Amino acid sequence: MREINAKLTQEMGDLARDLLASGEVKGVFGWTKGSRWYLTPPVFITKPEEADQLCYDEFAVNNLTGLLLDFRDSQDKIAIFVKGCDSRGIVRLVQDNQLKRENVLVIGVPCPGMGDKGAVTDHRQAQELPLLAKCLECRYPNPVLADRTIGGVTVTTEPSAAPSGATAEAAKGRGVGSKQADRFAQVEAIEKMSPDERSAFWQAQNEKCIRCYACRNICPACNCRECIFDSDKKNWVNKAATPTDNAFFGITRAMHVAGRCVECGECERVCPMDIPIMAMNRKLIGDLNELFGPYDAGVKPEEKPPLGAFKLDDPEEFM
Amino acid sequence: MLKAFPKDKLTAVLDTLAKQATLWVPSVVASVSRFAPYGPDREVQLGANTVMSPKEALFPATEKIYEYSAYGIDGEFTPVDPSVGPQILFGLRSCDMQGILCLDDVFLTRGYVDDYYAKKREEATLVTLGCVTPGPDCFCYAMGVNPAEHEASDAQLFDLGDAYGIVARTAKGEALVSALAAAGLLVESNKAPLPTGDFVLKVDAEGITEKLQHMFDHPLWDAFSRKCLNCGACAYICPTCHCFDISDKKRNAHCGVKIKCWDTCMYAEYALMAGGHNPRPSKKERVRQRFMHKLRYFPERYGKLQCTGCGRCIAKCPVNLEITDVIQQVREAKIDG
Repeated sequence: MREINAKLTQEMGDLARDLLASGEVKGVFGWTKGSRWYLTPPVFITKPEEADQLCYDEFAVNNLTGLLLDFRDSQDKIAIFVKGCDSRGIVRLVQDNQLKRENVLVIGVPCPGMGDKGAVTDHRQAQELPLLAKCLECRYPNPVLADRTIGGVTVTTEPSAAPSGATAEAAKGRGVGSKQADRFAQVEAIEKMSPDERSAFWQAQNEKCIRCYACRNICPACNCRECIFDSDKKNWVNKAATPTDNAFFGITRAMHVAGRCVECGECERVCPMDIPIMAMNRKLIGDLNELFGPYDAGVKPEEKPPLGAFKLDDPEEFM
Repeated sequence: MLKAFPKDKLTAVLDTLAKQATLWVPSVVASVSRFAPYGPDREVQLGANTVMSPKEALFPATEKIYEYSAYGIDGEFTPVDPSVGPQILFGLRSCDMQGILCLDDVFLTRGYVDDYYAKKREEATLVTLGCVTPGPDCFCYAMGVNPAEHEASDAQLFDLGDAYGIVARTAKGEALVSALAAAGLLVESNKAPLPTGDFVLKVDAEGITEKLQHMFDHPLWDAFSRKCLNCGACAYICPTCHCFDISDKKRNAHCGVKIKCWDTCMYAEYALMAGGHNPRPSKKERVRQRFMHKLRYFPERYGKLQCTGCGRCIAKCPVNLEITDVIQQVREAKIDG
């Protein structure tokens, strides 16, 4: 694994250096080694000599695509490294007209599956970590679109494809995608609760929300220029972090990304209060699949989201 | 000799204290560790610091300040009593005690007293606990905080291995220790407190305030801000971040409740002025404000850093924008001219 990481890191640095040196792109979003062995956070570089900062390993968990929103009004071409799940964020941004496809250079990377830093017991010495649940449930380990690739990864829009490229074996061994079938398990468990239990469950979650908006701000689907929750002047919402107001935020956020959520799971990963946000997203994905037929958001740029298109045979049982 | 209570008497100690006041203890509520009122089902977790800082006991995330109604020229105004009755905050770490001192500076000094904070602070008895095992993200030692004990609390607990030693520092602390003695819970111990273990994070903040005085326009801020999401996670779990907004919960066009609720310089709307001008228009200015406030403006105004090294923001930042790294890079930065 270490050798593969080193090779990918090298390839990443070389490519970024060339892209910046030739002037093909103005900046590159990638990952860098953080302060501890289990941290590989985002980095943005603009000079060829900064390419050495780039690093790739099984902790490069951040989906970087939301950061491209800072360039939505810019004509600068930006390069970005994407894992399979991240790549769907690019499709999201392009479909939502937040990004001109020609202004972004997408570089696909093979994904070994990302380690769960919550399982770290020794903060000084590297240890083997279990995968994040979202990686066990992964259905798109390979990029769905890319202009370039490193590590021999295959670009495919096929769901449930086997991991490809330099990390394919590691990904398989670590269990990437091994629990695809459990994707809706939490939704089903919550649906089995009695109405009272379910209400108490969500009430406890809503009590926890601190309205930090980390879930919203990391999400490539949450790309409104102005979120209604940023202002209370319109009197639709207010800033009080009460369970009722928090529920209003949580449900509005979920409904707003319905049919557009690319299932990168970042909202849930970054929630400091451990709220099972993906359960809500998955509930809506399940419902949409049932109503409009199976659909994976952010896979095929030409396929419109079910709630973004009108068809004569759309279900209208509520009318 | 130290007054002490055996660890297996902890429940009895807490039961005794809970009879006197609302007792806040570090606990896990719906999978998040935070300070919460003690009760029969509350499991106390003294082994590690909490995800949420204890500031919410003195400075709640949302607080009603008054109710109002206004029909034409007839208006009514009903203030909300800021008192919540006596409270005991039990098991605070030194970093969080230091955080409360920072809140004291802001809310109680320099000519304006925030009644809502002042009342709760006055009613609170603060019981600190010496740290034995620093968390992976802790760096209080670098912020001038002693993890073993904090001299500003009302009473200090020391981990003696099989017992907690307790020392009263104020009249409120004396009252608390007397109550435990009266309940027959205290013994004498000659054991020494367990020493504080090693810290994983190494950082040196020497001279940081002075260095920052020359760095308002430094390109570092642009670099730091590129990965920042401008979410409020760091500020809301921070023991010292104290910004709030006064806002409304309207019942209808005429009446409602004025509320005071947490706000943060990370949000775009925070610095937005009437008329639409925003002096902090991009992430760069907001990120700069966060770190400048903690490491430069606050020390300039109050003589102490506004970071206590609790490490919460480091643990929870979605993009690992770590204040220790900021300090390091600022110290290493070259300044022109």
